[in-house]
Formats: sequence, structure tokens, C-alpha cells
Amino acid sequence: MPTSTMDLVAELEQDTSLLDEGAKREIRRAILTAVCVPGYQVPFGSREMPVARGWGSGGLQVTLGVIGPTDTIKVIDQGDDAGVNATNLRRMIAFSTGAEPTADSREATVIQTRHRVPEEVLSKQHILVFQVPVPEPLRGVEKSVAEAARMHAEADYAKIWVSLYEDLVRNGLITKSGGYPLLVNGRYVMAPSPIPRWDVPRLHQAEHLNLFGAGREKKIYAIPPHTDVAPLAFDDVPFEVEHAPGARCQLCGSDDVFLVDAGTDGGYVCSDTEWCTRVREKDADLSNHRDHAPLDLLPDPAARMAQGADVQPWVPPARVTGGPEWALRVTGIGKVHGAGGADAVAGTGPEYGTAISPATRAVVAAWDVSFDVAPGEALGLIGESGSGKSTVLSCVIGDQPATAGQVYLAGVDDGRTDVLRLPDMARRKLRIDGMAVVHQDPAEGLNLGVTAGGNIAEQLTAAGWRGFHAIRRRAAELLERVEVPLSRMDDPVRTFSGGMRQRVQIAKALATDPPVLLLDEPTTGLDASVAAGVLDLLRGLLAERDVAAVVVSHDFAVIEALTDRTVVMQLGRVVEHGLTDQLFHDPHHPYTQRLVAAARR
Amino acid sequence: MGYSGARGGLEAILAAEDLVRRARDQADAPWAPTGQITARFRLAVDRVMGEGGIYHEPTAAAALRQAEGDPLEASHLVRAHRTTLPRLAVSEPTDPDEMIVLRRIVPAYRAPEGPQLLGRTTDYTGRLLEQPADRPEPQPREPRDVRERTEGQRRPGRFLDLLRKLDLVTDQRRRDDPEPVDITRKPPRPPAARSAVLSSMARAETGGLVAMWYRSILGPDGHVHEVTMGEIRHGRLPLRVRHPHTGNPVDVGEFRVTEAEAIENLDGPDEDRTKLDVGYGLCFGHNERKAIAMASMDIANRRFGRSGPLEQLLLLTVDGLDSAGFLEHLKLPHYVTFRSIVERKQAMRVVAETSAVPAVRLADQFAKEF
Repeated sequence: MPTSTMDLVAELEQDTSLLDEGAKREIRRAILTAVCVPGYQVPFGSREMPVARGWGSGGLQVTLGVIGPTDTIKVIDQGDDAGVNATNLRRMIAFSTGAEPTADSREATVIQTRHRVPEEVLSKQHILVFQVPVPEPLRGVEKSVAEAARMHAEADYAKIWVSLYEDLVRNGLITKSGGYPLLVNGRYVMAPSPIPRWDVPRLHQAEHLNLFGAGREKKIYAIPPHTDVAPLAFDDVPFEVEHAPGARCQLCGSDDVFLVDAGTDGGYVCSDTEWCTRVREKDADLSNHRDHAPLDLLPDPAARMAQGADVQPWVPPARVTGGPEWALRVTGIGKVHGAGGADAVAGTGPEYGTAISPATRAVVAAWDVSFDVAPGEALGLIGESGSGKSTVLSCVIGDQPATAGQVYLAGVDDGRTDVLRLPDMARRKLRIDGMAVVHQDPAEGLNLGVTAGGNIAEQLTAAGWRGFHAIRRRAAELLERVEVPLSRMDDPVRTFSGGMRQRVQIAKALATDPPVLLLDEPTTGLDASVAAGVLDLLRGLLAERDVAAVVVSHDFAVIEALTDRTVVMQLGRVVEHGLTDQLFHDPHHPYTQRLVAAARR
Repeated sequence: MGYSGARGGLEAILAAEDLVRRARDQADAPWAPTGQITARFRLAVDRVMGEGGIYHEPTAAAALRQAEGDPLEASHLVRAHRTTLPRLAVSEPTDPDEMIVLRRIVPAYRAPEGPQLLGRTTDYTGRLLEQPADRPEPQPREPRDVRERTEGQRRPGRFLDLLRKLDLVTDQRRRDDPEPVDITRKPPRPPAARSAVLSSMARAETGGLVAMWYRSILGPDGHVHEVTMGEIRHGRLPLRVRHPHTGNPVDVGEFRVTEAEAIENLDGPDEDRTKLDVGYGLCFGHNERKAIAMASMDIANRRFGRSGPLEQLLLLTVDGLDSAGFLEHLKLPHYVTFRSIVERKQAMRVVAETSAVPAVRLADQFAKEF
């Protein structure tokens, strides 16, 4: 027992371990969390190791956390025990822990690996530790780590599904190679270090424990034994492993292993050098290995797009009837920018000729705005710019927090729950199939770098669609309906004109047949003739659907063309409301008269 | 008797190590003892202490010698060494106002309280290369004025205090970040406390932090101002721990730091434009470049960290071990993943060659039905 600091220091100086015991405990705690929540990236206080970050520092920490002197350690890099990196790590681990080094998977209790799952079928005696350079499967579609964390928390994986959709459209097959994104236990999308696709099926319902250590990014994650692991793939486009027709290992003759190039003269050899040697020495259980080889997933161009022909048109689910007669109800919405909240409201509004609070100088952008919209009805929200109409809409959407008021949707808890009080995650989900939005600027509602079909696919995959051909058929139907030529379906929206972009945005909003549609100045940015075309389209769409629409516009011509009832706003307040026809032909409030006159000019 | 594996890899590693050791340790040149490195390569030693996160000159010097002078490699050696050490105690907070200054300049003011003390610097020495064949002749030391410095000269008042007295500075003191985030135990991720961002910068690779500052000034997406430096100090601070038996704070040593305060001219629409704001930088040893870049980026992070990518950049991209490690991992074998990439390229070619209906025309399949 050390009794003084000097003793402690003296003991330390003899110690050969690469990690202090406190760090090992911390790593084991992170591993336990990772095992409990499969596929979830657990942050940990990654230490600096004697190997560079990116050279297996994470895998090394995990190994050192779980290994003891009675263990047997095997280390492979690219499937090879003899590579310099594998050799270096193995001697480091064996020296510092007293564990027995081995190259034989059957003797090993811990196998640290880079880029491969061993060909030997692992069992419950094994812990397989992966070195992970990049643990974030969403990095390719989302660079902000805060946003990626939100996407994981909410299981919001539409963006990565769109990337697969776009890959198929552009290339005719999924070109993602190593490190294929996996759905673990039906919940978290996970990056399997970069192992080849060939190894992915070996993680599904495995007997062994898989631990993943990312030292540089300070994350540990796990796939425990008997866990479902599925590569992200559309239901009707099979996941494919690497394969070259007729390829065999030049050394052992195997054709059911992951093969790498043998050399500059062509041909292939096993990447797993242990397996290759043992096959040649007749020291391998070939039939068990073959049973676990992914021979059912070899690429088959015929199967890839085979199921496209017999996709049936989508029939939207019937709306639940018997709830409230309105689909959307907004009560008492108010928004104050600046100090004072509700106390700032006094002294503002049309009767005072200002939206600025005399008491606090806050801007009262909207106050006490209420309306409801029934299915099949369209409501107009009109006013000059600065009247507060767009503020009201963005409060209803939830883009900015309202100072006061409630929003109810018939589809949410039969209209009894104020959706503004829902957690962010639930409110974001409403945007998928509860309440769609068409923005004035198509760039706000679309990803301009993605194809027209891909933008619609984002909405559909978010709603849970997993059939590639069903998605394409639905996207084609919608684009056809909004009169975007199908020859443009697979072009990035960036190449589209303003009017075409707005049509794509409308198609995307309608993709899941939402009960409520909010349109914010849908034709404002367009040339007059293009705007007229979009207006015609919207009129037809609203007429043929049972959707409750809110149209925000400064232009009475737009409101008159699209809506049944209208609310007129001035300086943040409702000054007049009624049937659109009556207001348009017989406006009472002088402000409404001005708006009508402007539209008739 | 199972599979025993090939051994070629180990031989190659041992041979490579032997080449390094022989060339480095047995070179036909006088040995560089640790004392020589700390005395003659002070700034390199200080930089390694800062980036390595241990304040101990002999350790940093030994690392520099082993790393053949590569500061990043030396920092790695220091940090990996630190990993093996347990925590024996946690030091008490030190008030930077206790600093005994070795150098202190206030660019923002002609005559601040306390001295403008040039100290040991080559700032105003012409950058003319000297190539002495031997150790230069020792200069005769002129008997200098050895008057004891006054307390005000040793610990001058802070320029910021003057600005506070003039009510020119916004009050940014916060209560939600009372205990500094220990980034060596808790990986900082955005959104993070200011102390986490400051800690990341204090350990950052100096060149990386300077490059990020410069990119923010000159880059197309940067909006960092050229600040006015209020205070740049290099000096000594006491290291204080609580006595395990009495519980009283005890000075157990001292360490040198560089400290910088960057004064920002607030001009944003939501900012108090009648006031100034201050960014703070502090790092081990004498490293003014890093402290100034840190102070500038601290104030930039307060103003723009969350509205753009800056906070993520400061938390995740300035660590030298991270960036260099990831870059150097590209030297490792990648032939398995490369094979996987090539296989897909070949599969794409098959699609292009055999399919009468290339992917780009998939839409037409549906077009016929309408």
C-alpha cells in the first residue's frame, strides 16, 4: 500500500501501463452505456495514447479498458496480422498489459481490428474492438455536430435516406463503399468504422460483442451480441456486398471471403491472412464459414431495379372524422420583439398608428390574432409588408416563439393540445405530415443541390417511406400534377427557374397529403406571367383537395384567387375579416379599401 | 497448434526504430542535455508545454530532443506521458492579477497604470541572421541599476480596470459556467461553455489557431475584427494546492504564462454600441502569438460563435494532435476500403454498359403511365 505521495510517484514510474486506472474505469463506464444503448455514440474523455489520433488511439483505449493479463489479444489491420500497424499495436498491448499475443482468432479473447471483421466466425468468447477514424455516419450529409446530434436524438434520418436515393438516381446503384451506414437495433444510424460491405451481415445478431472506439472524436459505441443490424437500404433495392465475378484467392482458392488485389498482375488474395493460411493448412471450418458468408447479397444488376414496374399508386390514408369542424385553429397569437412582453402592447396598433411600444420601445409585430380553417377551405391573411402577417405564420409554424396565443390542429389529440407547447421534436415532426409549409423563397423549403425527386423523397422518407420505386412513383405523380416535366425530375433544383422551383416546393409540401397547408407569399418572387401560372396551379390543387390552407399575401389579387375567407391585418392587428368575395367587392375598413384598390390597379 | 502469423512487420518496425535512434542519438555531434534545450530553445519548450498541457520544462525539453525538434510530435509525447499519470491533486484557482510581470505592454494606451515593460523580446531587433561559428564571446555585463521593483511595477494594475471605471465595457460575467470545463475529461461539443472553448484554445496548436484567426480576418466568410490589444503580459503565477491535512492553500511552485486582452469595438445591431467588449487569452509559457489569437477568437466566439460555424471550429479543429493524427493516418494501409471503392466503380461501369435504360432516364418509366 503506498502511504505517501512519494511512494505513489515511485510506483508510477515502474508501471508500464499506458493508461492510469482512473481512465480505464471511465472507459469501462462509457462501454457499459454503449452496450445498453446499441449504436449510440457515447462521449468519453479520450486520452492521448502513444499512437497518433487516427492510428487506433480509440480502439487502443477500449482494448486497454477491457483487457487483463489472462486475456489473449489478436490485432489485425486490413485483415492482416503482420502489417506494421497491427504488429506495433499488438506488441504495445501485450507489453503493457501482460496479455498473451496471438494471431489465431480461435485462441483470442480480444481482437482489435482496423477495417475488417475476421473471416473466422466469432463466438461469445470474443470481444471485437474496432478502430474508428470517423464515428459520425451523418457527416456526409450534415457538417454541424450540434445538428447531427439533434438528428440522432430525434431519429431524423431523412437526409441520409435522400443521399441514398440520389445515389441510386444518379448512378443506378448505391455507390457507398466501406463504412456503410447501419441501423442498429431499429433506432440509431451508425458508422461501422470503415469495414467493407462484405462484413456488415456479420454484425447482425452476432454471438460476439462489438466495441467501437474513436479516439480523436472521443466517442465509444457498441453492437452487443444478438442485436439487429440492418444496412440502410430501400426495401426494393437490395443491399450489395463487394464481388468480382469468378474471383478466387490465388493462394487458398476461397471464393467466399473478402478479396483484395493480389498485385500488379491482377488476381486476388484473401485480405484475412490468418484464414487464408488455415484454409491452405486444412485447419478451418469451411462449412460454418460458408454458412455465414453473405453469398445471398452478391450484386445482381437484374434484381436492383426489378420491382419498379408493379408499384401501385399511393392512396392517402382516410382522414379521421368526427373531431372538430376546423383543421387548424389559431387563438390570440401575439409576438413582441423586445422588452415587456404583453405589457408592451398598450399604446400600439392601428388606432395609435404605431407598432412600437411607447412604454418599452419594443416592436409589437402581432397581437391577438385568431382564426380557424376548415378542411377544404382556404383562408387569406392579407396586409402590407410589416403588418405582421408573416410573423403570425412563422409563429404558427413554430419558426419563432409566440409571445402569446395557442395553435390547435384537429389531427393532434383531436384539437385539444396547443401544438406550440409541444416539445421541439414533436413540433418538427408535425411539419412532415401534419402541417406543410410553402415558403416565399424556394431555397427555404428545398435543398437546391438535390434533385426535384430527391426533395420530395426527403419528405416521404421522413414520413417513413422505404420503397424506392414507390417514392419515385409518388414523386413523379406530384411533379406531373404541378406541371414540372418529368424529364427534369432527376435534375438538381438549382438548375430550375424560379417558377419551377416554386412548383417543386409545392409538390414537396403536398407529398404526404397533409391536412393543413400554409403558404407564405407563394407567388411574390415570380414574374407576373409565371406567378399567374403558379396561382392557377394552386387554385386547382386547393379545389381538388380536402386541405385546410392559409395563404399569406400582400396582394388582394392572390387572396381573391385562392381563398374563401380573409383576415386583414394592419400594424399587427386584425382590422377586418369576412368572406373574401364580400371584402373584395365591398371593403369597409379604409385600409382594406386601399388594399383592394391596389389589387385592381 | 494454431496459426502463428507472419513476423515481417515487426522486423521492419525494429529496423526503422534503429535508423532513428542511430541517426538521432549517435550522431557525430555533442549531446544536447536537457538543460541546454531549456536554456537555448526556450520558446520551443514553452510551446510544447502549452500544446502538450503539462507545465514542466525538463519533460518538454526531453520530448523535443526525442522528437528531433518537431514541436507537434513533442507535444504528443508529453500528452501520452500525461495519460499515464494519475491526478494527485487539483490546484486552486489563481487570480491572474497576482502575476509578477516579466513583460507587459498596453498597445491601447500611451501611459497606462504601471509600466510599459518591454522585457525579454526580439520585437524591435532587426531580423538579421547571425551565423556565429562558435559560442559568441560573453558580453561584459555593465553594472546596471538594480533598484528593487516596486509592487506597482511587479504587479501593475490592469488596463481593463480603467475601462471599467470609465464604464466603457459591457459586463459579460456569467453565473452559468462557474467551474471551468475540464476538456481532458469531458469532450467539449457545441453548444459549450466559454471555459471549454478557452481551454481548447489554450491547448491548441499555435499555428492552427493563428491560421484560424487570420482566415477569420481575411477569409471570405470571416467577420472577425482587427481588435485593439489592451494588455499583453508574460509573467509568473503561483501554483497553489490545498494542504491534504490542514486544508489551507499552499504555494507549491510557480509557472509562467502569457496573457492577452483584446478590446473589441462593438458595432452589431443587437449589441450595446456605446460600449467595448473584451476577449481573453491565456496559455502556458511565453507564446504571445497564441495568447493574442486566443483573445481575438474568444471575443469573436462570444459574438458569432453560435450564429455560424465558429464555435465548432474552435472546439474541434484547433488541436494539433487531432488534426495531425488524422492527416497522418492517411499513411496507414487502406487497401481494404480502396478495394471496396474500386468494386463500386466497376459495378457502375457495368450499369452504364449493359443497361439500355440508364439511371438518368428512370423517370421516363413513370412518364409513360401518365
